[in-house]
Amino acid sequence: MPMPAALDRENPSVLVMPGPGLPAFDYVRASKPDEVCDLLLQHGDNARLLMGGTDILVLMRDGVLAPKILIDVKHLPGMTTISFDPAGGLRLGAAVSMNTMTAHPAVKQHYPLLAEAAQAVASYQLRTRATMGGNLCNASPAADTAPAALVLNARCVTWGPDGERIIPVGAFFRGPKQNVLMPGEFLAFIDVPIPPPGWVGRYIKLGRNAGGDLAIVGVAVLGYPDANAASGCRFRIALASVAPTPIRVPEAEAILANMPITGETLERAAPAAQAAARPIDDLRGSARYRKAMTRNLTRRALDDVWAGLRKEG
Amino acid sequence: MAAHQITFTINGGQETALVTSHTTLLSLIREQLGLTGTKNGCATGECGACTVLLNGEPVNACMVLAVEVDGAEIVTVEGLAQDGQLDVLQQMFVEHTGTQCGFCTPGVLIMARALLDRNPNPSDDEIKDALRGNLCRCTGYVRIIEAVKAAAKAGG
Amino acid sequence: MSTPPTSQQAPSPIGENVRRVDALEKTTGEALFADDLQFGPNLLYGRIVRCPHPHARILNVDASRALALPGVKAVVTGQDTPGTIGLYLQDRHIFCRDRARYVGDPVAGVIATSEAIAEQACRLVEVEYEVLDPVLDPLQGAQPDAPLLHPDLEDYEVANFIFPKPGTNISNHFRVRKGDVEAAWAQCDAVVEREFRVPHVQHVPIEPHIAIAQADRHGQITLWTSSQSPFAQRSLIADALGISQSSIRVISPYVGGGFGSKAGVSMEALAVIMAQKVPGHPVKLRLTREEEFFTTFVRQGLIAKTRIGATKDGKLQAMKTEYYWDAGAYTEYGVNVTRATGYSSTGPYEIPHVHADSYCVYTNHPVGGPMRGFGMPEIHWGIEQIMDLLAEELGMDKVEFRLKNCVRGGSIIVTGSEMHPVGLPECIQKAADAVNWGTDEPASAPHKRRGKGLAIMWKAPAMPPNAGSSASVRFNEDATVTVSVGGQEIGQGAFTVAAQMAAAALGVPVDWVRVHGPLDTRYSPYEWQTVASRLTWSMGNAVVAAANNARRQILELAAEHWDEAIENLDIQDGMVISYKSEQSLPLQNMVVYGLPKPDDQGWRGGPVIGHGSFMPTYVTGLDPETGQGPRSVVHYTTGCQAVDLEVDTLTGQITILRVAAAYDVGKAINPDQVRAQIEGGVVQGASTAFFEGLAFKDGVPQNTSFVDYRIATSVDIPYEIISIIVEVPQDDGPWGARGVGEHSMVPTAPAIANAVAAAVGVRILDMPITAEKVYLALEEGE
Ligand SMILES: Cc1cc2nc3c(=O)[nH]c(=O)nc-3n(C[C@H](O)[C@H](O)[C@H](O)COP(=O)(O)OP(=O)(O)OC[C@H]3O[C@@H](n4cnc5c(N)ncnc54)[C@H](O)[C@@H]3O)c2cc1C
Ligand code: FES
Ligand code: FES
Repeated sequence: MPMPAALDRENPSVLVMPGPGLPAFDYVRASKPDEVCDLLLQHGDNARLLMGGTDILVLMRDGVLAPKILIDVKHLPGMTTISFDPAGGLRLGAAVSMNTMTAHPAVKQHYPLLAEAAQAVASYQLRTRATMGGNLCNASPAADTAPAALVLNARCVTWGPDGERIIPVGAFFRGPKQNVLMPGEFLAFIDVPIPPPGWVGRYIKLGRNAGGDLAIVGVAVLGYPDANAASGCRFRIALASVAPTPIRVPEAEAILANMPITGETLERAAPAAQAAARPIDDLRGSARYRKAMTRNLTRRALDDVWAGLRKEG
Repeated sequence: MAAHQITFTINGGQETALVTSHTTLLSLIREQLGLTGTKNGCATGECGACTVLLNGEPVNACMVLAVEVDGAEIVTVEGLAQDGQLDVLQQMFVEHTGTQCGFCTPGVLIMARALLDRNPNPSDDEIKDALRGNLCRCTGYVRIIEAVKAAAKAGG
Repeated sequence: MSTPPTSQQAPSPIGENVRRVDALEKTTGEALFADDLQFGPNLLYGRIVRCPHPHARILNVDASRALALPGVKAVVTGQDTPGTIGLYLQDRHIFCRDRARYVGDPVAGVIATSEAIAEQACRLVEVEYEVLDPVLDPLQGAQPDAPLLHPDLEDYEVANFIFPKPGTNISNHFRVRKGDVEAAWAQCDAVVEREFRVPHVQHVPIEPHIAIAQADRHGQITLWTSSQSPFAQRSLIADALGISQSSIRVISPYVGGGFGSKAGVSMEALAVIMAQKVPGHPVKLRLTREEEFFTTFVRQGLIAKTRIGATKDGKLQAMKTEYYWDAGAYTEYGVNVTRATGYSSTGPYEIPHVHADSYCVYTNHPVGGPMRGFGMPEIHWGIEQIMDLLAEELGMDKVEFRLKNCVRGGSIIVTGSEMHPVGLPECIQKAADAVNWGTDEPASAPHKRRGKGLAIMWKAPAMPPNAGSSASVRFNEDATVTVSVGGQEIGQGAFTVAAQMAAAALGVPVDWVRVHGPLDTRYSPYEWQTVASRLTWSMGNAVVAAANNARRQILELAAEHWDEAIENLDIQDGMVISYKSEQSLPLQNMVVYGLPKPDDQGWRGGPVIGHGSFMPTYVTGLDPETGQGPRSVVHYTTGCQAVDLEVDTLTGQITILRVAAAYDVGKAINPDQVRAQIEGGVVQGASTAFFEGLAFKDGVPQNTSFVDYRIATSVDIPYEIISIIVEVPQDDGPWGARGVGEHSMVPTAPAIANAVAAAVGVRILDMPITAEKVYLALEEGE
């Protein structure tokens, strides 16, 4: 995000701010996956990938990154394709735009949670370009689609010099703005398995205003009936903006699996989510508020999902 | 840095342009083509003043590289009126005072056009949500929303 | 009253919802804004080198590396700007000379063949600074031992109603001493005291500042800019450069939002200095959104300490106030906010004993300037909350309390002046009724709490006593009319009401009238500035005078032609008519070619051009010791807003269900435009109340983008805004009109604060009322 005014390390007498335009670079439109790997290996930090550009172009304008080449990977085979198979689930090309994803019949029918999360991002016109793939690769702790991807057990399918790799989303983030991709490697697809039958999902985002802000806290909850669970249900809970990366909260999930679901159980699970949160103070909110909101919004999302499950059941 | 020759359609006419890699679609439209209806309010995807239709879908022109629109179809506010006939949205913005200073208006109109194209009968909440990426400091949005509603009613 | 003698039968456009005259071009994309003007290949671009420290001495500027960059044409520094500039206090060098006083202060300007090269070259300019201790808080700044920002304060040129205190950081101290406050406390049965804070907010016009300047080789300067004040800019820049006003021409097309930020001079003078270095080339300087947030004007921050008391019958007795304005690095404009808030410091209440001190304090923050409301939103934030607190203390209903104490016609106000007739009580009653004041209504969910609150306001145009307006009215052959004004169309509808007034005064259909931009100081008639909500009233009077002048010329011609007394003639619907002989004549052609004398004996008349001007002549000075005087201002516009809202107790989020806003506008020339102003002001006011405030860390602004500094979007607005127009005529307003542009954002924030307090018992004294603050306060209360 745009940086606060700061001192330039090279010339400390200068106030560095985003410029009027983008710095110069070369645009390369890649048509083959191996070409991308080669370029990345060849140029190292001087090369960056471009999908919707809504993160990378901002970072470049802000002067945070100054790659010499931008490799447009949208035109690689399959990158903008959505396919759905009732057995295997959903395969999203990494460069599928959020709007395309949201409007896709299979997503609407089988993965409304993905659409709900994507619609929490910025504005409609930005989502014409922004992609879920880019959202995950950018690895912001506040990434709105990450909690949904986490509770849906999505997998990142990557392509690199050594071929394909499949990385669960839960293992994809390394730290704020850092993912686990290796040199030369890029995200090709996001695979989302078929969620358990009877599932209900919810994403709640809290911003300073009602729309378009980055998350102060984001909570995704997915619940489904499970005869093997002591409670008869399982819940998956994931959080954005309260830790260095988006996180799952197994502690809270365990409480919900092991005790009959009552108001009291839900009331106990929420503080467990709060305990897992390790937020910071920033412009959007204090750590203290974030912690409290993690609890209250987890509770709210659980209530909504539980109500949905009861209706379904 | 290499320049790229691109060909595209804008407001129905074909154009060719030579652009550098770092030229944005916004600067292509405003600075190179001299189509100044589209505005620059932030250059970073936040205000919506630069909204144009790219292959029928609204985008922040400041967040798109010009090289990427090779072969694409673009519509700006100047292209909303057809054959000298104002778009019904334009008519309703005039009639319902949907504009004050007018700086956000081109982007708002494009956004509203895209909304009515995909949803001819939007609810109030759908209109508000569709416009949440178009900042307006003058109107308080009230009459913008009324104008969009009136346009939808008039057959959008 | 300068109302012209419109005849009874003619349909007058006054009071009609005439469509905006600029709406069509603004919806087709054809309306031109300054950055849309084309200058061809000769155009150069400027970018600014800005100081990274809040306070520093500039020891050396070395531009050699920048100048060596291909494409760079010139670099300017403070050494190129000898003079000082400023509206009421000349305390600013156009580029810093020996000292920089805020993060972002312009130290040098680079001119190059492209914006990118200029930007790149800026980073090559090496500036040697000696970092100085900053002042980052007005209370600290007002202390005698605070680091001095302007050691030369004594030598600055200053308007005669501004009182700087040399040797301190106080650039203006306005005081009110009315009655005997200390003795009055003893009579009070209830006394409340609080401290309120308001952060710096930014105007956020969606069009960032832009200026294009060109200097020719004979010293003539042209400046194209997005401006609320082409004439003031011409005058201030001419003064600073020591040249004649006639040597500067300011051209200003449509303004993409101003709200005060484009009044006076901010970055425009930078472009002029840069252009002087490269004669013959236009030089374009446009601010990025990030620069817009802190390098033009911002609204000043405020710390307000207020004590207030009343007797148990609910009558206000005494008020003691101290305002410390966080006025920023230069206070050339802000000193008058200090003054205006001093002489309006009681809010719209009649209080016999008043003691007020309003201090304008230099700090190493961005430059404080005028913003919609000119200090009134900031002071009403405290005034209207403390009134609620006092009413609570007295156990009185808040509407009743306000009705008991608010100003009415004939009240003696804070400056000792007498209040003119005013519809404030009616506004209060109507706004309260519109939200069912006094009835508890249920919240929409168990975890939500509903509450209602209200706030009242007043605001006078704050300007020099002799701020003037002028206008001209010219006819075309087909009797269409070109009205020229120097007041700007900044979205508020000024051109539309000017057309309505000209049409009504002339007696022609409103669609015959054209009011055109761009403003051009070479051709447009003088106007002080488009600020202070003064155009409908002041420029309106000038337009009416010009129209009457033209009308007189036409009637004289017809009278001579028909050999009738002028008193029997009138112009209606574009025809000259005689009530006596019942003859009529179309205006077409006669208004340019005149009329033939009988028997081919030549012609009489000729092209009709009417001119008119207006300037208030009755505003008196105020005693510098007591702030008392017979007539401090031209008039006050008053109003009331009532808010009905819900608070989510689990998040602190607030939803406004409805706002009722009632204003006494004297006469609504165009009711639809009045409502549009109210809606825009309410949402801007709510936006500042909920979200806004520049965050600083050691003087460095932290949130200079829309992602970090949120403003209200379409999903943040109240569900319903009820606009109520009250009309108690202004004696010297056209058709009785007063301004209403700024007023609608004045009481919004305190009304919300009062409603939040009513809903959940949480009182937020420091703006904004974020969800976080409300939630944490609730948690603490548990
Ligand atoms: C005004 C604005 C508001 C925003 N609001 C939100 C918000 O509310 N919530 C939110 O979550 N985000 C928000 N964002 C951030 C951004 O829009 C999202 O993260 C978006 O999903 C990024 O997708 P993209 O396709 O545009 O990514 P890009 O910018 O194209 O890429 C993102 C990052 O991933 C890298 N990359 C691109 N493709 C690949 C690949 N195939 N493999 C590996 N790395 C790759 C890029 O080099 C870059 O570092 C906002 C951005 C803006 C400008
Ligand atoms: S200019 Fe593109 S979104 Fe603001
Ligand atoms: S009309 Fe001025 S910003 Fe929308």
